[in-house]
Amino acid sequence: MIGNYLIGLREGLEAVLIVVLLVAYLNKSGRKHLLPRIWAGISCAVLVSLGFGALLTFGPKGLTFEAQEMIGGSLSIVAVGLVTWMIFWMASAAKTLGSDLKTRVDRVADSSTLGLVLVGAFAVGREGLETALFLWAAARATGETWQPLLGAFLGILTAIFLGTLLNRGVLKISLSKFFTITGALLVIVAGGVLAYGVHDLQEAGFLPGLHNLAFDVSHIIAPGGVMGTLLKGIFNFSPATTWLEAIVWVAYVLPVMFLYLRKVFSSPAATVRNENA
Amino acid sequence: MNKTSTAVAVLVVGTLALAGCTDNTTEASTDGAISVVSTNDTCNVSTDTTAGGTIKFDVKNEGSAVTEFYLLAEDGLRIVGEVENIGPGVTRDLVVMAPQGKYFTACKPGMVGDGIRAAFTVSESADGQEVSADRAALQKNATDQYAAYVKDQTEQLVRGTEKFAEAFASGDEELAKSLYAPTRMHWERIEPVAESFGDLDPILDAREADLEAGDSFTGWHRAEKDLWAPEGYTKMSQGDREEIATKMVEDTKELYTRTQSLEFTPDQLANGAKELLDEVATGKVTGEEETFSHTDLWDFQANLEGAKIAYEDLQPLLAGTDDALDEELKTNFAALQKQLDAYREGDGFKYYQDLSDSQIKELASGVDALSEPLSKLTAVVVK
Repeated sequence: MIGNYLIGLREGLEAVLIVVLLVAYLNKSGRKHLLPRIWAGISCAVLVSLGFGALLTFGPKGLTFEAQEMIGGSLSIVAVGLVTWMIFWMASAAKTLGSDLKTRVDRVADSSTLGLVLVGAFAVGREGLETALFLWAAARATGETWQPLLGAFLGILTAIFLGTLLNRGVLKISLSKFFTITGALLVIVAGGVLAYGVHDLQEAGFLPGLHNLAFDVSHIIAPGGVMGTLLKGIFNFSPATTWLEAIVWVAYVLPVMFLYLRKVFSSPAATVRNENA
Repeated sequence: MNKTSTAVAVLVVGTLALAGCTDNTTEASTDGAISVVSTNDTCNVSTDTTAGGTIKFDVKNEGSAVTEFYLLAEDGLRIVGEVENIGPGVTRDLVVMAPQGKYFTACKPGMVGDGIRAAFTVSESADGQEVSADRAALQKNATDQYAAYVKDQTEQLVRGTEKFAEAFASGDEELAKSLYAPTRMHWERIEPVAESFGDLDPILDAREADLEAGDSFTGWHRAEKDLWAPEGYTKMSQGDREEIATKMVEDTKELYTRTQSLEFTPDQLANGAKELLDEVATGKVTGEEETFSHTDLWDFQANLEGAKIAYEDLQPLLAGTDDALDEELKTNFAALQKQLDAYREGDGFKYYQDLSDSQIKELASGVDALSEPLSKLTAVVVK
């Protein structure tokens, strides 16, 4: 029960986090009318995942292990691309927020219909297939016991609950801090997603170095425990991280964070850069 | 986000999904799938060997921690397939494409460490399934399998010879006679290998007719003559019998020791198969081998089995390279076996002397029919 609950929580957090920050942003910047697009993307991803998962579990065809990892890994990396685009879109919008250029920003946002739908879809979809496969497997086991399925659902519900808490929390922050914090959070989350995607591709044998670990703290932070689950769910932190994962994470997070902060504090003041770089 | 990149993303994922599709083999979930039960400290895999191609594992977590299941390559590092996040009480499937070779299975309760590992072997593929291992690996596999077969046969030969020798030495003729032909089959199955030891073969298997002046008559056929004594033959004394019996066991054990470290090449297997058929043609189908016991058809059967094993070990090298030859050999092996089966009686066969001339001629032509394609085998397998 606990084990399945933690799986649900982790997969849920991985999917929910980006969506929550996105939704908070749209709420905060007064573009609530764009929310349905996010929901549309999410619904689409959930339905496709569940359908695909059911097909793979009960249908005549299954996916090879390599294909599953390749799809999971590629979706993660595509999702990172989308989120990065989102981060900078938000940063540029933030700069003009409140000024008389708001209408122009809205026009840009309105023209990005597909972009918002895709961000929602990929944020959820990259974890969707894996989660759906687990859920169907648990559903298949319900003849013996319904606990796995209930555990997983409770985990996902907890993730959504934590997501709404986060949403409210960041909404309370003052406007200028809000953009800095959500954006910076997204950069770190996206870095984790990227490293995770790289790990999937390493497992599929598409990228090398699966056994060259930068560090392994799995004896301190158990991957199946609550701490491991939260760290994995939020930052995609793996207690046993390969060198390639670590390098990719640093190579993404440092420059993107730098560029993002520079854009947010568009003043070229050296103090700001030193403070955050 | 422009439409081009959207299209590209959809295309990439779609292609991957299609390219990665594989048969779910839903029927197999009842009979073909390998069941794995993972608990907190055990990893129970229902079998440690299966046929190459698409392999499906049903992994059930009966422990309390979340577990993972891996199929690892021979080096224990490369992941051939894995399924993660198997919650307690949940069964998840792993479908992999695996060519023949050696692997490890591993359950990882709590998702920590190297997991609970066990060796796993994938044998040659079932019909019609593609095996992507390269030829060198296939050749190695064939010769490894044959080496294992030789070891197994000599081991059984030692045990059989010990029993036979004891019965023979103690004068229990009934028992010795009943053990004679079945025990010799282990020798006859691997005759080309046994004959390759020039010092052991004559003392264990020489026929009286083939002896040259000065050679002493020992081994199996010496015992045969004493058990099925021809007219005018004076039986051995108890002491002579004991001497022959002890020597047989001793030499067979020596044969066993020497075969343990033998390594083979694909052409040795193919030529050996042909030699076995030649043995049938020159010795068994003529009734010369077992002059006194007339159990030639036992030897015939054993030679045929030995040749068939060599062919079957080599078969993955034929598939896709010379399917016509493969088909011809398969058909002719079956046909000759069917011919021979007609002479089965109980656990054994008819005695050679009870066969009619036309029956012998028929068997001889069956041997020729198999011998001819078998002579082409070597050229194909060494490619």
